[in-house]
Amino acid sequence: MDLFLQYLANGIVVGSSYVLVAVGLTLIFGILGIVNFARGEFYMLGGFAGIGLATVLGLPLIVSLLGVVAFAALLGFLAEQILNRQVKDKDPTNSIVSSFGLAVVLQNAALLVIGPQPMLLRTDLSMVPVEIGPVYLPLQRALIPVAMIVLVGALHLLLRHTWVGMSLRAMAQQPTVARMCGIRVSRVAIVTFMTGAVFAGVAGFLMSSVFMVHPLIGNMIVLKAFTVVILGGMGSVTGAAAAGLMLGLVESMTSAYLGNGLRDIVGFLMVVIVLLAWPQGIFGRNLERS
Amino acid sequence: MTGTETIMTRPVLEARGIVRRFGGITAVDRVDVTVGEGEIVGLIGPNGSGKSTMVNLLTGELVPDEGTIRFAGKDITGVAPYRRARLGIARSFQMLRMFSSMSVEDNMLTATHIHMKRGLLSSLLNLPSARAEEDEVRAKARDLLAMFELEKFARRPVTALSIGQQRMVELARGVLSEPRLFLLDEPAAGLAPPNVDRLIALIKRMRDEFGISILLIEHDMRVVRELCDRVVVLDSGELIAEGHPETVVNDPAVIEAYIGKGWSRRAQA
Amino acid sequence: MKHLALFAAAIALLALAPMVLGGHGLSVMTLTLTNLVLAVGLNLVAGYCGQFSFAQAAFFGIGAYTTAIMSRDLGTGVWINLPAGIIIAGLFGLVLGVPALRVKGHFLAIVTIAFQTVVYLTLVQWTDFTGGQNGILVPGVGETSILGIIRFNVQSLESYYWLTLALAALAIIVAWRLVHSRLGREWIAVRDDETLAQAVGVNTTTTKLSAFVASAAFAGAAGALNAYTMRTAAPDDFTIFISSIILAIMILGGKGTFLGPIVGAFILTIIPESLGEFSRYKMLFFGVLLILTITFLPGGIMQLVRNARTRRA
Repeated sequence: MDLFLQYLANGIVVGSSYVLVAVGLTLIFGILGIVNFARGEFYMLGGFAGIGLATVLGLPLIVSLLGVVAFAALLGFLAEQILNRQVKDKDPTNSIVSSFGLAVVLQNAALLVIGPQPMLLRTDLSMVPVEIGPVYLPLQRALIPVAMIVLVGALHLLLRHTWVGMSLRAMAQQPTVARMCGIRVSRVAIVTFMTGAVFAGVAGFLMSSVFMVHPLIGNMIVLKAFTVVILGGMGSVTGAAAAGLMLGLVESMTSAYLGNGLRDIVGFLMVVIVLLAWPQGIFGRNLERS
Repeated sequence: MTGTETIMTRPVLEARGIVRRFGGITAVDRVDVTVGEGEIVGLIGPNGSGKSTMVNLLTGELVPDEGTIRFAGKDITGVAPYRRARLGIARSFQMLRMFSSMSVEDNMLTATHIHMKRGLLSSLLNLPSARAEEDEVRAKARDLLAMFELEKFARRPVTALSIGQQRMVELARGVLSEPRLFLLDEPAAGLAPPNVDRLIALIKRMRDEFGISILLIEHDMRVVRELCDRVVVLDSGELIAEGHPETVVNDPAVIEAYIGKGWSRRAQA
Repeated sequence: MKHLALFAAAIALLALAPMVLGGHGLSVMTLTLTNLVLAVGLNLVAGYCGQFSFAQAAFFGIGAYTTAIMSRDLGTGVWINLPAGIIIAGLFGLVLGVPALRVKGHFLAIVTIAFQTVVYLTLVQWTDFTGGQNGILVPGVGETSILGIIRFNVQSLESYYWLTLALAALAIIVAWRLVHSRLGREWIAVRDDETLAQAVGVNTTTTKLSAFVASAAFAGAAGALNAYTMRTAAPDDFTIFISSIILAIMILGGKGTFLGPIVGAFILTIIPESLGEFSRYKMLFFGVLLILTITFLPGGIMQLVRNARTRRA
């Protein structure tokens, strides 16, 4: 039982990171109708940036976190310029290819500049244990679900109760009308991209204490993000939250009881089953933006 | 169907008791639509009356929650759209649809694949028999385009034609597929008056020369009155009137649906 | 007929390559022809049928490992392994095609990427069967014959080159026939407007599946032969980076055109391989090229050609 609870806790930690990455994805897809395959690279670069700031420069965790946020926001802005500006009005498959190209560029740039060595984040906080009953977590890891709740909660409140949030929701539902009401579409696009990038970057930074960061981890991360979005329903932040945690838990249990090799594949199997059994997606939404 | 209006012809299409809900809204509420052999039946109603939903139910894009649809006596209620096309139902779209990268002729040819008898293998190997069949179909397509006065555009990309011309191609494409029933979804939309006249004449020819029965969804009342043997009126998902165009047009319930309560009383006075 | 004459002339010209090129040049040409087959295959499902697939490298790998495993476990020769590679890759094309039917756009891309990743992970982790990260060694083709009548010895670089050239020529012929048949027209119909295709009676399910199968079969053929040429089948030759190279080739050349992937294969294999000391930047180069091409020239080089033609007319 004790072990089970430990696995549960681990699953929640990993699941929280999936939630953070998936929320950005579902947000951009829901509001702008495009997808950024380079999302995994924002996660990866967030991780490296954090490690750079925290271990190389020795900055305290909070400062590093803020540094990562700033860096990720900049990345998001640049990505919006590259991906959204040019390709927006043309064939939708173009944005798939160009964001895929961006992912390849970022991965290989990281390989060339940083090198293929995986890195792990170690700070003072990783030594501080948190014990909840039989469950043991380093404080650094325990912070992850906390950060997830804070960020996703803040986003939820933002979307519901502020002017910015309502413009985003208006854009998602009726872009033309939103434009006519004076909502600056280009600004909304930039804000959305930056938000998504920040979420992914923060997730990458926080998770760099759990799993090692290396230039190619983005591939798997973006796949997990899509798995979560497919399972949770496109455009739904709450769906992404629920599905992200669920995926984290399922993976943790699979890894513990069935074998580590199956951990990554189990998510894909779930997606395949979902796609075959519920063609409309698990929450009854259409998987194609019309 | 009331006792005073017996249909002497065998029904090509029989939709009975069709119900379709979306969440809490009943878009189509127990509607019956019948099209007899050689008939032109109109389906009209104000915006939001459920016409488009009804069309999608008949073509197979949507499945009804209740009711049955029979085509030439065969139950097709759950049958997929591509199968309905193969059984002999053709349709045009309210928002014109074309294979935009193809020529006019190729657009039409795609609609005839369902009738091609030479197997796929002979098509792949480019055997003389497959080539002969394709040449034959191309000739038929060009003859048909001639009827629509578009034969000189056969090899041109379909996007080079005007909207009015493309609508004609859409009709020709449907006719080429040799259907028993042709569902026309607002074919007159966006056409200038002289083209509307041509459209009316062409639809009559489709029925007279090719024996195609037609279900016509339209807003343009002139088209409806000149073409339809019978008209079915929907409002808010319900069938509120059915009968000869002239009768229906003067039916107070119909007037009320389109214009509002005040007018129907004035019409009666 | 004009097409046939030009095609025959091009093949004849390419067949003379060993006379002018040295060892390195010939390897590059062999790689070019392999990429050609991969790109022409990808173009069938992604260019003509409009279903973007990032899994071409996975099928390439499946073909290669079919050769490697059958050679190792069954001792079969090239004339069995090659068709086997094609068929097995084609079957896996179905495995990808079925879930891919339900999704469009970005989600289709993700399903193909997931497939690619699962295949790669399986190749790496199923060590007993696939040899893991190290892969499997493949013996050369060696002494062989066609129907026992025409005998030849495939050992030298030139002979592998000619074998690859023969495959490329065959691939082009098959692709040409596919694209110009009824099936090809149905692929285009599904790409242009799937709803309309259904409305005119096209079974879009079988149409899309056939595109996936055809595309996978092409990649499987290339893979099955490539295993012999490289004398090895190893997972890192079949990563998603390879898929992106083939994608870049198809897009730069011109997706949905017949010559596009062919032109793209020559340009995007020869130039990067000639980078010499800059070869470290190869993948970076591909990534940048993908972005630039899809943003500023989505129709690829063939679009430039077409524009030039219409301007002259």
